[in-house]
Amino acid sequence: MSRLSRRTFLGASGSVLALAAMGRPAFAQSADIRHFWWGNPERDKRTLAVIDIFNGKNPSIKVSGETLGFADYFTKLTTQIAGGNMPDVIQQGYGVLFEYIANGAVVPLDEFVGKSLDISKIDQSAIDAGTVDGKFYALSIGANSHMAVYNTRLFEEAGIKVGEDFDPYGYTYDQLAEIAAEVKKATGVPGTDDNTADYQNFSDFTVQKGANLYNEDSSYGPTQEIVEEYFATWEKIRNAGGTPAGAESAGLSGVSDLAAQGVVTGKSAMTYLWSNQLVGIQGLMQDALGCAMYPNTAEMRPGSVVQPSQFVCLTRDSKNPEAATAYMSAFVNDLDMTKILGLERGIPSQSDVRAALQPQLSEVEARSVEFFDKIQGKTAALTAPPPSGSGEVEQTFERLAVGVLLGERSISEVASDFVSQAQAILRRA
Amino acid sequence: MQKFFARNFAGYAFLTPWLIGFFLLSIGPILASFYLGFTKYNVVRPPQWIGLDNYAYMLQFDQRFWKALQVTFTFVVVSVPLKLIFALGVAMALDKGIRAIGWYRALFYLPSILGGSIAVAILWRQLFNYDGVINSALSLIGIDGPYWLSDPKFSLWTLVVLAVWQFGSPMLIFLAGLRAIPQELYEAAEIDAASPSKKFFAITVPLLAPVIFFNLVLQMIEAFKSFSGAFIISGGTGAPLDSLLFFTVYLYNEAFSFLRMGYASALAWVLLLIIALFTAIAFWTSKYWVHYENERG
Repeated sequence: MSRLSRRTFLGASGSVLALAAMGRPAFAQSADIRHFWWGNPERDKRTLAVIDIFNGKNPSIKVSGETLGFADYFTKLTTQIAGGNMPDVIQQGYGVLFEYIANGAVVPLDEFVGKSLDISKIDQSAIDAGTVDGKFYALSIGANSHMAVYNTRLFEEAGIKVGEDFDPYGYTYDQLAEIAAEVKKATGVPGTDDNTADYQNFSDFTVQKGANLYNEDSSYGPTQEIVEEYFATWEKIRNAGGTPAGAESAGLSGVSDLAAQGVVTGKSAMTYLWSNQLVGIQGLMQDALGCAMYPNTAEMRPGSVVQPSQFVCLTRDSKNPEAATAYMSAFVNDLDMTKILGLERGIPSQSDVRAALQPQLSEVEARSVEFFDKIQGKTAALTAPPPSGSGEVEQTFERLAVGVLLGERSISEVASDFVSQAQAILRRA
Repeated sequence: MQKFFARNFAGYAFLTPWLIGFFLLSIGPILASFYLGFTKYNVVRPPQWIGLDNYAYMLQFDQRFWKALQVTFTFVVVSVPLKLIFALGVAMALDKGIRAIGWYRALFYLPSILGGSIAVAILWRQLFNYDGVINSALSLIGIDGPYWLSDPKFSLWTLVVLAVWQFGSPMLIFLAGLRAIPQELYEAAEIDAASPSKKFFAITVPLLAPVIFFNLVLQMIEAFKSFSGAFIISGGTGAPLDSLLFFTVYLYNEAFSFLRMGYASALAWVLLLIIALFTAIAFWTSKYWVHYENERG
């Protein structure tokens, strides 16, 4: 969950205005298709432009866009499922997609493949990621991985030489503690966010420790020892003096709004996100951002995975699945459209789309392509999708870990409480 | 019957818009939620009857349910009396014949109009942020302000302040009540050389009791239902450490974050029963301290 910010609020109302301005008289026979996604101002601008192109090329179909911030997206979708009026085309993430498929809210695409829907150029791995029990459900719109971004100006001012003092693709938590403290000493800005209450970092750490987040039988993977070690690792970084105050970090726990992140607000020099968010977050600040993987333990066992960032899916409420899949097909294949979408949702899964984007990549997009080249061979295998209840486990982690950040409870107390609550949540789900 | 309609027609005419809304929009969902409270329902699949399981789980196993009750009760018990005292104080100050009194009244009422809005909650967050206005002001007098919103020791109190600040509607009602107190009583008291506090406790409070009671019931219900401030300031989760886990926020979380609509419906009915119970208690105690002028004896 994230907080509603003034920025997303303005962004949302801006897109409503943009939609109103784009309205044009519909043809009597036209098929109305609704596309709903969670976004940020940058993504909304690009997606609405792409819808405009599609409508221009296909006079018999009229696509309209709807957008919300991530925090409110699934709430709205839930009420739409209950009301039987989901949009035709929805955006889904790797986490929750499988719950929607299991419950029948998202329908298979197989009958449209080769007709209205062209998947001939999509990477096999991306098709596999959207396939469940032999049926193809979800079109990947980009690959994604965990990425740390650091403020290059602050790192330079602290005299940290990237490549010598700091290897963005292979640094340890101990090194991070030193670097962060140096940045703080030289610039006054804490060198890194404090990820004690960050579930994304914790999931990475779990895999680095040789465990999985969820076992085959949907029980919870991380043991109390792993949770304790994770908290202790960040406590060490915090005690070295390179992080914002505990209460400050507590306020950021679970906040996904890019504008609130430490590198943007100037409250830290390093923030941890998804790689596709680089374009969005760089757009909010002046100083150039450098890319790095998440920190690792001394054993350097890979913890991050590469996974589809987002999918477009067809819902069971679509009245016009041919038109909807024709739009989905163009969304991932039409070179005029993918050119505008760029890399904002991740690295596209079609080789021809990637090739077409190559010459026109903006400088920041080139940086995220380079990041993907560099992490090859340093990532872990994609594990089974998270079971029902995983969203609640994540929120529980963030809530309890705040107790560690504020020094209200001991690490072992919180760790044992969390593991038992996580198991209970998964049993109940 | 005819007489009844003739007498009450105007009243019902004015109520019509509300009645239409109630029967068309509210009654259906209310009854549906009563049924859903006995089911497991995740919105996507049809509801599944589980009898009293939701209520049993709530009382036996759900720690957050008890935490939510604790937070909500603390909020009600602290914010309602403070708000009423504050509202009465301002009403008494405004009851004097000062110039441009209408302007003052409108001005003091303004926060109540804005009160429940998202905009004010966001503004509140900006004010109480660590580097917000409040702490900047404190730093001028050399105080390093705390993290009002992310420290569980303080977070609830910022919402109490927000509630007290929205004293406008009880204030207006108090003002009308004060106007209805006959001036002769005060004049008579002055002739007997009664002190201001004597006048307040022997004349103002007893004669205002029905109005105080009315405000108390209304504000108590309002406080139990309070949602938007806690939702915005806690980012929708009741954070930090569930210190802002108002009952309504917890209910919303269960319904929309975790898709347990059946459980959330059961929670909603528990809240309804709690509000009904406390309103009933208030009415029962009122026999002992509220006296109406037209009562005999």
